[in-house]
Amino acid sequence: MGTPVTLGAVGVAAPSLRLSAAEVGGAWGRRGGRGVSGVCAPDEDPLTLAAAAGLDALHHAATAPGLIDGLWWGCTRPPFAEGPSHAVLSAALGLNSHAGGALMSGSPHAGIEALLGAADAVAAGTAQRALVIVSDALVPGLGTTFEARCGAGAAALVLSNDPSGPATLSTRVTRSHPLLDRYRGTDELTTRDLYDARLFREEMFLPSVVEVAEHLAPLDVRAWSLPDPDGRLGGVVAKKVGASTTSSADIYATLGDTGAAAALLGAVGAFDVAGIVAIVATGGGRTTGVLVNIGAPVPGAASVAATLAADARSATYPEVLRSRGQLQASGEQIPMGVPPESALFARGADEMLQLLGGKCAECGTINTPPSIHPTCITCGSPKLDPVPLDRHGRVHTFVVNQTMPAPFVAPLPIAVIDLDDGARIMLQVVGDGADLAIDDEVDLVLRRYAHERGVPVYGYKARRVISNRGGQS
Amino acid sequence: MSWNKVAVVGAGLIKMGELFDQSYETMAAGAFNAAVASVDKGFDPAAVEAAFVATQRGTLWGQEGISGNTVPTAIGLAGIACTRIENACPSGSDAFRVGAMAVASGVYDLVLVIGIEKMRDKSTEEGLLSRAASGHPILTRGETAPVLFAPFATRHMHEFGTTREMLASVAVKNHHNGALDPYAHFQDEITIEQVLASPAVCSPLHLLDCCPQTDGAAAVLLAPADRAHEFTDRPVFVAGFGVATDHPYLHEKTSFVGLQATVEAAKRAYAMADVGPNDIDMCEVHDCFTITEILDIEDLGFFEKGKGGIASLDGETSLTGRIPVNTSGGLLAKGHPIGATGIAQLTECWWQLRGDAADRQVPMRNGFALQHNVGGRGSGVSVVNILTTNR
Repeated sequence: MGTPVTLGAVGVAAPSLRLSAAEVGGAWGRRGGRGVSGVCAPDEDPLTLAAAAGLDALHHAATAPGLIDGLWWGCTRPPFAEGPSHAVLSAALGLNSHAGGALMSGSPHAGIEALLGAADAVAAGTAQRALVIVSDALVPGLGTTFEARCGAGAAALVLSNDPSGPATLSTRVTRSHPLLDRYRGTDELTTRDLYDARLFREEMFLPSVVEVAEHLAPLDVRAWSLPDPDGRLGGVVAKKVGASTTSSADIYATLGDTGAAAALLGAVGAFDVAGIVAIVATGGGRTTGVLVNIGAPVPGAASVAATLAADARSATYPEVLRSRGQLQASGEQIPMGVPPESALFARGADEMLQLLGGKCAECGTINTPPSIHPTCITCGSPKLDPVPLDRHGRVHTFVVNQTMPAPFVAPLPIAVIDLDDGARIMLQVVGDGADLAIDDEVDLVLRRYAHERGVPVYGYKARRVISNRGGQS
Repeated sequence: MSWNKVAVVGAGLIKMGELFDQSYETMAAGAFNAAVASVDKGFDPAAVEAAFVATQRGTLWGQEGISGNTVPTAIGLAGIACTRIENACPSGSDAFRVGAMAVASGVYDLVLVIGIEKMRDKSTEEGLLSRAASGHPILTRGETAPVLFAPFATRHMHEFGTTREMLASVAVKNHHNGALDPYAHFQDEITIEQVLASPAVCSPLHLLDCCPQTDGAAAVLLAPADRAHEFTDRPVFVAGFGVATDHPYLHEKTSFVGLQATVEAAKRAYAMADVGPNDIDMCEVHDCFTITEILDIEDLGFFEKGKGGIASLDGETSLTGRIPVNTSGGLLAKGHPIGATGIAQLTECWWQLRGDAADRQVPMRNGFALQHNVGGRGSGVSVVNILTTNR
């Protein structure tokens, strides 16, 4: 590499729900089971996790989204099989419409492909600052042996050509073999389990992962992020390469296998101590290792554990199935009055994803959203300038709606929020609203409001601020 | 103001309820016939020159937008001038205002104003609740009807100490009145305990804080005041009306303890009628939810802002109270067939003014009755009509 590629900051995000392996085992008449996995609530998905992790990284980097030259996103389950996944995420992050980058997908190896794609662009000089996001939310086949391990999570890294960055990307090594491990066929909704665990271990996983890891091991590696598809193989590899610190083990234990996010999510927590961190990713027959040389603690790394633990709550197995769309009410679903492919979304895409208001040049009132306010609601002036709304405020009043038709799921809290910039907006509130109160402090987070006709509809929801949350997410 | 005085010479409605056995057309004919039959000296149906029809949600029974075409044939008057008026929950009261203006202008003499609504031809989920998915995909997502009013209850409780018991007292009073009204959907008394114990629909509102889904129809016959004696010796006159709007989305409101559209509509109606709240003998107001009646009686000037809850609990709005409110049972007990609601309320006012309200009759000291609706996406449309026996 000609230009050194440095790492300026990291961010992470975890979904709201946690599913214990014992809960899954119980559903299938099995006892025991260790560990916990992260699961998306019905209004979360790999894109909302990606947005949260990306904003967290930009916050720690103290970098305005407009300064990012490209977004490289690795994800096995982007919201569209074919559609504007990358463009929607870019808009939600507030990136410039001329920012570049790529969406890497196809296997859990996609996460490290996003990192290397971004690094290559920075090294080549086509991007000065690149945002790397890896996110995933696996959907396993029901009753499979790896079901309880399938998790969700996201990590993000800000790369640049700034030589003063606290960490540097260095050695990389990759191996490719046309082998079938875990996969999902065309039109299949769930990821298939391994055909034969011994075949996978002996002929696919260990040969390539150990080869790549052994390549990196001599280079004074302080901490490792290693793939661990079954809860044992990660430890086997660690032992073979003499790894003393495996930072990824905690992530697998608390969020499960996070697919394309796993390799980087398992590494970023180790970026707060100087030394070399080795990252190994595998999937789709490919295995790649990368070294990151940490010179000084990377902003965001110290708060990884706290951010991932914030706001999580245990969920039952049926609740998880419903959240993943694997348990659905029969009968008619009420369609949106405005189809998600229609003109309102063409007019409103930016204002919905970037959370814009129209600020009156005459009286300062913020009108939301701009597309339905040609004139100011306070003074009638037609001079309104688009402004991003503050994403923090307080509850002015609220309700909890307990009575709604499918596909809505009650209870659904809805609140009128007074934002810190003086704007007033009405939004749904994350959670069941059981302890919501007037004057509660909230921040606004991107969530999936609906999924209809194959189209995920994203918008902001209010989330109660809990005082000890680590980092911004 | 220069306008020809207008008289209400007939008014009637059909028994409200879940009228699965009646079509939209059957209900229209029933209400029209009831209004014709109510005219003291008789009324030739063929004399109607123009009709204004209020139907708010044609989508609920599959004939959106064509009621102006449907009604004349249904009531045996194909050929007359007929126009549908839609203005949210005040559609019926606004159709009345438009009909009154048509007579006041001198263009028509004999005008029918009729409201008809089929609320129960579709399931609750595909009918009224489908509103949760209508409108703006983010701003109004999940916004069923109680979401429009429950935030006001939350805030009214917070600012004024209004309690669920105070809200419940409105439902108890209106069910008591409904039990005396043979046209009411519900005709049973309820208790505060029953309201409090009923299931939560949209917190803080519970089931018995909410009006039912009701099929119904109501009609009034209007004539120039100068010709009222041809039809009755006990005419009722239009004293005034007011319509006002407010911003259509809840987040555009500056206050969640009152409805500005009601305040403005009332101001205009009082000015036109040259009366004030103290001159009103009884009123029929929009009580789609218990909190709505509390907001109304404050916004209409009967009680100080914040005192509506305690006034209701103290019985000041009962049949024997200082200002009887919703003597018919209101939307909570009589029902809320949207387009018909305003006209059914006006029918109750007409009966009260003429002394025909039987067990529900309240004293008419000044000869003024007020009728009010409020509705729309953010309760941004309000209509107030004032009737009087004073020419």
